[in-house]
Amino acid sequence: MSIATGKAGTSELYMGNEAIARGALEAGVGFAAAYPGTPSSEVIATLAEVAKEGEIYAEWSVNEKVAMEVAAAASFAGVRAIVAMKQNGINVASDFLMNLNLTGTRAGLVLAACDDPSALSSTNEQDSRPFAKWADLPLLEPGTFQEAKDMTRWAFEISEEIRNACMLRTVTRVSHARGDVELGELIPPSKEARFTATSPVDFTPYPVPFKHHQMIAKLEKARELFESSPFNRYVGPERPELLVVTSGACWLYSLEAVKALRAGDRVGILKLGTTWPLPEKFVQKHLARTERVLVVEEVAPFLEGNLKELVGGHLADAGQLTFYGKRSGHIPDSGELNPDLVAKALGSVLDLEVEGVSPEYVQKAQQLTGSHTHMRAIGFCAGCPHRASFWSIKNALKLDGRGGFVTGDIGCYTMALGPTGYFQVKTVQAMGSGVGLACGFGNLARTGFEQPVVSVCGDSTFFHAAIPALLNGIYNHSNFTLMILDNSATAMTGFQPHPGIGKTATGETTPAVDIEALCRAMGVRVEVTDPFDLEGTTEKLLELLRDDGGVRVLISKRTCGLVRARQGEPDYRVHIDPEKCRGDACGCARLCTRVFQCPGLIWDAETDRAKIDEVICSGCGVCADVCPAGAIINEAI
Amino acid sequence: MSAELKGPQQLQGEVIDKHLCALCGACVGVCPYLVSHQGRIVVMDECNLSEGRCYAVCPRTSVDFDELNRVVFGVPRPEGELGLVREVLMARAGEGAARKKGQYGGTVSALMSFALREGLIDSAVLTSSDEALLPSGSAVRDEAGVLDCAGSNFVAAPTLAEFNREAVTDAQRIGVVATSCQVLALAKMRTSTLEKRDQIDKLALVVGLFCTWSLRYEDFVGFLREKTDLAEITKVDIPPPPAEVFEVYSNSSCVKLPLAEVRRFIRSTCDLCTDMTAELADLSVGSAEGVPGWNTLIVRSETGAELVKKAVADGAIETAPLPEENLEHLKGAALNKRKRALRNIIDKSGSSEDLLYLKLSEEALERLLA
Amino acid sequence: MTEKDPLNVVVTGVGGQGNVLISQLIGKALVKKGYHVTIGETYGASQRGGAVMSHIRISRQEQYGPLIPEGQADVILGLEPVETMRVLAQFGHPGVIVIANSRPVYTMAVTTGAAEYPGTEEVARLLGELSSAAWVIDATDIALEMGASILTNIIMVGALVGSQALPLGPEELEAALRDSMPSDKLEMNLTAARRGLEEARTRAAVPS
Repeated sequence: MSIATGKAGTSELYMGNEAIARGALEAGVGFAAAYPGTPSSEVIATLAEVAKEGEIYAEWSVNEKVAMEVAAAASFAGVRAIVAMKQNGINVASDFLMNLNLTGTRAGLVLAACDDPSALSSTNEQDSRPFAKWADLPLLEPGTFQEAKDMTRWAFEISEEIRNACMLRTVTRVSHARGDVELGELIPPSKEARFTATSPVDFTPYPVPFKHHQMIAKLEKARELFESSPFNRYVGPERPELLVVTSGACWLYSLEAVKALRAGDRVGILKLGTTWPLPEKFVQKHLARTERVLVVEEVAPFLEGNLKELVGGHLADAGQLTFYGKRSGHIPDSGELNPDLVAKALGSVLDLEVEGVSPEYVQKAQQLTGSHTHMRAIGFCAGCPHRASFWSIKNALKLDGRGGFVTGDIGCYTMALGPTGYFQVKTVQAMGSGVGLACGFGNLARTGFEQPVVSVCGDSTFFHAAIPALLNGIYNHSNFTLMILDNSATAMTGFQPHPGIGKTATGETTPAVDIEALCRAMGVRVEVTDPFDLEGTTEKLLELLRDDGGVRVLISKRTCGLVRARQGEPDYRVHIDPEKCRGDACGCARLCTRVFQCPGLIWDAETDRAKIDEVICSGCGVCADVCPAGAIINEAI
Repeated sequence: MSAELKGPQQLQGEVIDKHLCALCGACVGVCPYLVSHQGRIVVMDECNLSEGRCYAVCPRTSVDFDELNRVVFGVPRPEGELGLVREVLMARAGEGAARKKGQYGGTVSALMSFALREGLIDSAVLTSSDEALLPSGSAVRDEAGVLDCAGSNFVAAPTLAEFNREAVTDAQRIGVVATSCQVLALAKMRTSTLEKRDQIDKLALVVGLFCTWSLRYEDFVGFLREKTDLAEITKVDIPPPPAEVFEVYSNSSCVKLPLAEVRRFIRSTCDLCTDMTAELADLSVGSAEGVPGWNTLIVRSETGAELVKKAVADGAIETAPLPEENLEHLKGAALNKRKRALRNIIDKSGSSEDLLYLKLSEEALERLLA
Repeated sequence: MTEKDPLNVVVTGVGGQGNVLISQLIGKALVKKGYHVTIGETYGASQRGGAVMSHIRISRQEQYGPLIPEGQADVILGLEPVETMRVLAQFGHPGVIVIANSRPVYTMAVTTGAAEYPGTEEVARLLGELSSAAWVIDATDIALEMGASILTNIIMVGALVGSQALPLGPEELEAALRDSMPSDKLEMNLTAARRGLEEARTRAAVPS
């Protein structure tokens, strides 16, 4: 069962991202590209699954800028294309986007922007919608899974109508949630790709002022289309006491909140699916129904600001209007929304109480469960080579004694901010930023800086963004050690392949780029180590920390524990000899369970000894080298 | 025992962070948290115990000289600049390799070789350095091993880490050659209730070395590297005053460096050390000023006296009376170091009531300064 | 019996236990029956041992949002005891029905010796006190008996259907399994589902 097999007219349970992919297929998409990023990854992953049978092209690009560029090429050649990314990806793609919008597209090009309010899997919770306004591109926000599909299909039409990219913005609660979707007909992609420039500057932004003016006219065209869109609708009384204006996932929360407050006779909901440019006549018509407006959106007060801008431009017609929303504090200024928060905001404006669970139950539940439900910490899996790498990094920096530290990056190893990685990682921002920061720290010597710097990044991150930063470090003779944690996987986002793996998104074999050879070619000192060799890795790193002749690269190379587990029998059967185990006595103080903290090691409070959890232990054998008493025994399998 | 039981966090706060650590090595090699590296004690991870062996054996926590003397010699510390003394002699190795390789008279090497040969000990924990001059403990089981370790380079060594390691092997009677702070640590180990008796009871002989100060490894070696090729160095020496030089010998030459420059690398803890002659050892050995080729030998315990008697009878060492002026000079130097140390301790603590790591009653303090 | 609309079900556990599979199985079967289903998943770094929650909204009338409001879960299916308690505290109410697996997945705080895990009896008692009916199923033990701990979640789905808390019958569950399981794994999964069904039918609920 794939998104290509569902029959038109039937209802299927689809994830929002799958619905987007299906919508693209129903529009005859021929080309898809993305870099993995939660919550966007499934859009292209799903298309890649059906690429062969659907005769479309799908790729994992090295980063979002390249992804946007390859998709644009398809559009230029007359092939409908879709590119998907998380909110940070738009930042990476923005330089190209701000040139593409002037250049214009040919076949429909849809940019699926998937935001992550509350940063459930991100380093920030930026709202991508302002990009559409900034780039003068039309913006759609689906509120349901059905809309995710239907609006994607429509987005291609809009894009071709105005000859510019169309942005479709979702959030985690649409992209990753599932719902029933009624399917439409599939259309095969175009087979007549051809690049034809009709003027010397046809596919460029030149002349810029002229094309800028054109771009704005295109946007006006989109606005006219939006005035009559069925994705914008009003539900509620003729003259509501309060008008809720909402978009995206917040629409369903608003509907539920109004129901919960039994305020359907007092509150009307204006749901907008086209949020830039605003269908001004349509919006003004509904604003005229009321004197009080509550804007429910996430994460930035984007819609709110644009509504106020609209009203401000027609003050004479405006009448009395009071706005509630993020700016008034009724809607929280940060974090994702849910029906409870929306109900609270509504209740506050309407002076109504939400009927919740009885306070006695709430108190009883707290009392009974409070002490047991401490945070369930996340950490490296049993057998993860990163745990071993960070153990060695911690030891090497301690032994070195000069207060060295680690600049971090994005991936599973970001968790080394916490106890699972011994709190080694000290900075995290964007992909590749760890190396960039290290370049800076590494050139502070003349201002008295003496601390050794280690920058860590994964293999996928290396290809995505670290290479230019590494080149910068080499070129500017910066003093730091780059430790590439090469586990041959883009693990955190779900094991999508990358240029070092040797396989494409659609499963074809392709030459694997050798990271070691690439670094050597850049002219930098490169060492390779096996992270499971704790002593050897610590020694190598200690030596590299002291070598201040420019950038050094240490490649810590071992397959991801989860991938390894799928490959076959574990290397060892591990058990602990309770006679030798020192437990919490002086001489050990529970080093393996308390400090090393592999989830396969459990502290048995009854016997006062450590023991192995056979279900979780992956049989990697590393803990045996950590134990000071030789009590952990590896039996080779 | 009256010693306070505290843990590694306090060791870190009271000793390591305050630069009191003498790098004796007593805390190293018993747990994974404390290691020695390039002349530093490094705390690898946070041990959460509130009571640890490490704090108990440290020579810079809770030192009560009377208690320690009682455990080692059976009596509290007597009055006098040199601590408990049976005899003070001059000594040197009998004819042979020990005399040639020794720092001054070769007495220590000769005694340790003899003790091993006669089976009085089956393992000797000494100190030796690698090509980069990094010293560490070295356990040897025969005379050749002893001679390999002859000589000093004045850099602090975590020798007792090697004792800890040796104590869990098949060795049964271990002799240790140690500086004052290390000797102090060994005495604390004998006192501590947290020690494994089957390990510390293997300590059969302690030969102390006179010591005024030792050097910080990394800084000192960094300095030496600028002056000479480390790999060529065969021996270093500090000739007696008024020379004020630090001699660095290689096969081809002897470089004389101003002693004042080398003094910059003295470990700060040495300024707070009251014990020049390693008072808690069975025997204490140092140079004999003005008498080249001879050592000063202080005999303290029954064990020490027995060993000297046998060694003299065997010809392994020769002894001679120590000139009176040497003894007076030695006492004066020991007292001066003690007074200076106490002054520095009070400066550092800010109060004469707070003697940092020394647990001394007023009476005991008076006796110490008598 | 008039069906509650929407019926709110929370499936909870630890990353890797098969939360998502359960919610999809139930969701697909219900969509086939003509219900509107919305499933919201909360999983950050789920594979890395974190807590996972699936919110399932079931309605004849309309599509609901993917997040259940606090205190409005009608059924809680817990693959892990502490996670079940966590969900109960936030989404439970006196009328909720709870079906929980007995086997703990220890948190790092527990495995490192910094915290203690509540005993099975205490868990059962707590669940009983905070619900109108609660069943504790030894799903992991049964799965291990059958030869694969990975069957735990299928046993739990069987128990859920067996409790009749969902508008879904055993035949419909089996049909859903047939649709989604690879043929070489089908028999085992069908057996697991039946075992779960039986457990729910024969076991006594925890006194509330």
